[in-house]
Amino acid sequence: MSLALLHRRLTVLMGLAALGAFAGGAGFAPLSTSIAFLALMVALFWHPDAALSARLEQVWLPLALLLVARSFVHIFVIGDDVVVPVVDLLFLLMCAEALRSLEAPNDARLYALTFALLLAATAYRPGLLFAISFVIYVVLATVALMVGQLRRETERHGTQNLLLSRRFLLQVSALSSVCLVMSAAVFVTFPRVDQNWAGRGNVLSSSIVGFSDRVSLGDFGSTILPNPQVVLRVEFPDGRPAAAERMYWRGRSYDNFDGVAWSRSARLPPSLPGNDWYARWRPNRLRQRIYASPLDARVLFATHPVLSIEMDGDRIHPIFDETGDYSYMGTGTLSYNAVSVDGIPTPEVLRAARSGYTPARSFFTQLPRLSQRTRDLALRLTAGLDNNYDKALAIQRFFHEEFDYTLDLPRSSREAALEYFLFDRRAGHCEYFSTGMAILLRSLDINAREVNGFLGGEWNDFGDYLSVTQNDAHSWVEVWFPGLGWVPFDPTPATRGITAEAQPWYWPGKFWFDGLQHRWNKWILDYGIASQSELLQRAADFFQGSGASAEGGATRDGPPRQAVILSLLTALLAGLVWAKGDRTKFTPEAKMYLQLRTSAANAGIPAGPAVTPMGLIRHLEACGHLSARPAEQVVKYYLRARFGAQGLPAEAHREMALALRSARGFLRAPPPR
Amino acid sequence: MQQEGLPVGHRLVLLWRTLRAWRRIRFTLAGALFCTGGFIVGFAAITTGNNLLYLLLGAMLGFITLSGWLSERNLRSWTIRRITPRATTSGRPIRISYDARNGKPRQPSFAVCVYEVGFSGHAFIPRADPQESVTALSENECLPRGVYPLTAVTLSTTFPFGLFTKERDLALEGELIIWPRADLPVTLPSTSGGLSRPRADTATVGAPGSRGEFRDLREYRVGDDPRDIHWKSTARTGTPVVRQYEQDAAEALWICLDLTTIPGDVAENTVEIAASMATRAYQEGRPLGLAAGDGLIRPATGLGHLEDVLDALARVDFDPAGPPTHPPARSSSCVYTS
Repeated sequence: MSLALLHRRLTVLMGLAALGAFAGGAGFAPLSTSIAFLALMVALFWHPDAALSARLEQVWLPLALLLVARSFVHIFVIGDDVVVPVVDLLFLLMCAEALRSLEAPNDARLYALTFALLLAATAYRPGLLFAISFVIYVVLATVALMVGQLRRETERHGTQNLLLSRRFLLQVSALSSVCLVMSAAVFVTFPRVDQNWAGRGNVLSSSIVGFSDRVSLGDFGSTILPNPQVVLRVEFPDGRPAAAERMYWRGRSYDNFDGVAWSRSARLPPSLPGNDWYARWRPNRLRQRIYASPLDARVLFATHPVLSIEMDGDRIHPIFDETGDYSYMGTGTLSYNAVSVDGIPTPEVLRAARSGYTPARSFFTQLPRLSQRTRDLALRLTAGLDNNYDKALAIQRFFHEEFDYTLDLPRSSREAALEYFLFDRRAGHCEYFSTGMAILLRSLDINAREVNGFLGGEWNDFGDYLSVTQNDAHSWVEVWFPGLGWVPFDPTPATRGITAEAQPWYWPGKFWFDGLQHRWNKWILDYGIASQSELLQRAADFFQGSGASAEGGATRDGPPRQAVILSLLTALLAGLVWAKGDRTKFTPEAKMYLQLRTSAANAGIPAGPAVTPMGLIRHLEACGHLSARPAEQVVKYYLRARFGAQGLPAEAHREMALALRSARGFLRAPPPR
Repeated sequence: MQQEGLPVGHRLVLLWRTLRAWRRIRFTLAGALFCTGGFIVGFAAITTGNNLLYLLLGAMLGFITLSGWLSERNLRSWTIRRITPRATTSGRPIRISYDARNGKPRQPSFAVCVYEVGFSGHAFIPRADPQESVTALSENECLPRGVYPLTAVTLSTTFPFGLFTKERDLALEGELIIWPRADLPVTLPSTSGGLSRPRADTATVGAPGSRGEFRDLREYRVGDDPRDIHWKSTARTGTPVVRQYEQDAAEALWICLDLTTIPGDVAENTVEIAASMATRAYQEGRPLGLAAGDGLIRPATGLGHLEDVLDALARVDFDPAGPPTHPPARSSSCVYTS
């Protein structure tokens, strides 16, 4: 393969790697990316001649002008994200350059375009695909830059084409590890200022199933499809809780139900409990470190009841509203620490909470137009019960025992109604159950409200965190207890989780992949001053061998520090020896002969591979070199060992070594004047 | 040891000079753009807090580091032998070839240029495997007449990425002789001018084939008649040796060059005329002598002799206050150029 062809292919592969990096972010546009991918694949195997290349130029130019005009429209007329049309323009230019003839001196332009695409990719907080593509890009760039330079130099000096072996190319690509190590070192050690990159377009698109800032029963006619998009990754600094996979990640609450959908009243008065009501529920606290993906709704999730939320950095400000919900303003990384009460009050305490302050009663007992049989149902279910807790439990039990969970939506608008669910269909998804329970409670004049968020998730051992996906979106009910506040109840039957059972076959791999993704987010995208300090602390702990972690001084299990350091040093030493040492297996005689040859070559005597052993001796004799005699002895033993039926005896080995030493001594000595 | 007692700053300056002589690094255009790009990426990383830009910045710095390391390795362990022509005529390109040996035990070298300081040409070595010797040729622009001392060759490379040009000097003594032009149309004076006997000290030597009286032996030079090789002496010394004969100096031509002319184009023109006459005399087989200032070359024939004359003409310096040139023979056998 000629240098020009090799170089063109390498630069096209660089373009593909940059394309992959861009596709890993939120700026990914399937159509334009696919077209660019196809064009680059064509450029990998097909190269037009100069004439055709010139004709193609006439196509690229108007297209480029069109995209430039589109960019201007985006900027000045629509006011939309400018990066998207600019990236489309980049795609076009990159493909145009890649599809030029091999003789075109456009390598610098291709480098610049692929690098610009990589830069554009960084703007979108890309995922793990960026990391993979980045490594590939650096490896390819190392080889491409070298091959391109050799190509330019040989063409400039009119030299015949150089042939580069595959082994050489592999060695060069291994050198890219220097760039990668440097990249990692700069990344880790470069001092950070206290800000993080918000990223562009990093909002999950509307989900098929998942959290939404509305609760509605009106949908019908299909099945809710699963959506395994991860929305929350939660670490627990105090260790994994026993019920980590059954936790409720509370989002928003709603007070008004119009018969179809829940909403929040415009003039909803404050509905907060007293200052320390929640704190008195239980003495235990649950600390959560939450990494959230931005959703359409600007909600901060945590387990109920939340005592405090603290954001990383100051680009996002949490807003605690008068219903007890947390939302936020600003843009940036959604990572925060939350502290909640661990558990709900005991049944005795709840039963005792009979009277006291009750907020905005008319809002939380509001009902749509309902038939009498709904009220009768509520009365029948709670007959004989004298406190709100037992009544709530009775209604909850009613749903658990007599209803089924299904993701199939009702077939018609008539079947979508709440009363049809309560009396006829007796199956539905979580929003039906929570709405049903809230309405039944309200019909008993008990303050209740609808709440949505996420339930459960899966524990990821590959990172020790809880992974919550859109599949875990859920809604439930909160009931007011005087002196305690809002207490959650979940009427959805335990069969909930059909979406989790319907996970695709690749789910375990994706689970592992998500662990990597979480590390990527935590240690790369959100790396900041705090991470830098933590890393330094860990490094200091590691080298001090204290065995104490930064948090709480707990002793970590792990290999002894000295053993790890010793292993690293041994590996380094072995690597050096391997790099320096002879990688070909030679007999001792052959090694000695090769040493003689090297010494002769260093002394300026022709001793290349084409020179035979006896030829070397003849050269030495012709020069009258003093080393000729001992060298002849070395060659004699070497030939005997090589072509003789038996190996050399130990005595012969010693003589050969002595002769070699003597010959090398003469060869190293300066020539007589 | 000589640096003992020097202030630290001065020592650092000396060290810097040594290092600078050891290796020189210059940006190429691509390198300057690359570094500017790296600076911009770094600035953007700091101002935006976009962590991925730090990764890109690190990779760019990695490329710069790798470039420095590999180019350093590329220029190491070279042994260069310069092969210059015996001399070159002014106005013609100067071809210098180099026998270069990559002494590294394992690493090949790529895209290394070898050139002389102050010369325009570069000898390019596209690849030299470990322990391999290669030959490269440089073609340099023509230079004015003179003798140019060569002190060092420079190894230069833009390998591996073309971001920087790294250079290293290797001390290598040599000399390049540029003869004056010798192709001007000139006419020699006739030899039938009733020449008298030559002066006792102006007998000619070495006319090939004419076989005068044997006088001496000297080393063989290109152009000598192979029939004059003295085989016994050649076998004994190991180098070709030829006989020299004394000849009748009746037909000898003396070129007398006036060195008191003011240096400049006119002076150079007289040298070129003298060289052209010498060449013409050689072509006609006439013995030729040269007198320039105090210098004197006895009349002789042969290519080797012509080269001696041209060498002398390459070295002459004009000085209006210098000694005048006295014709060594009767004026009828002398051509005085001034």
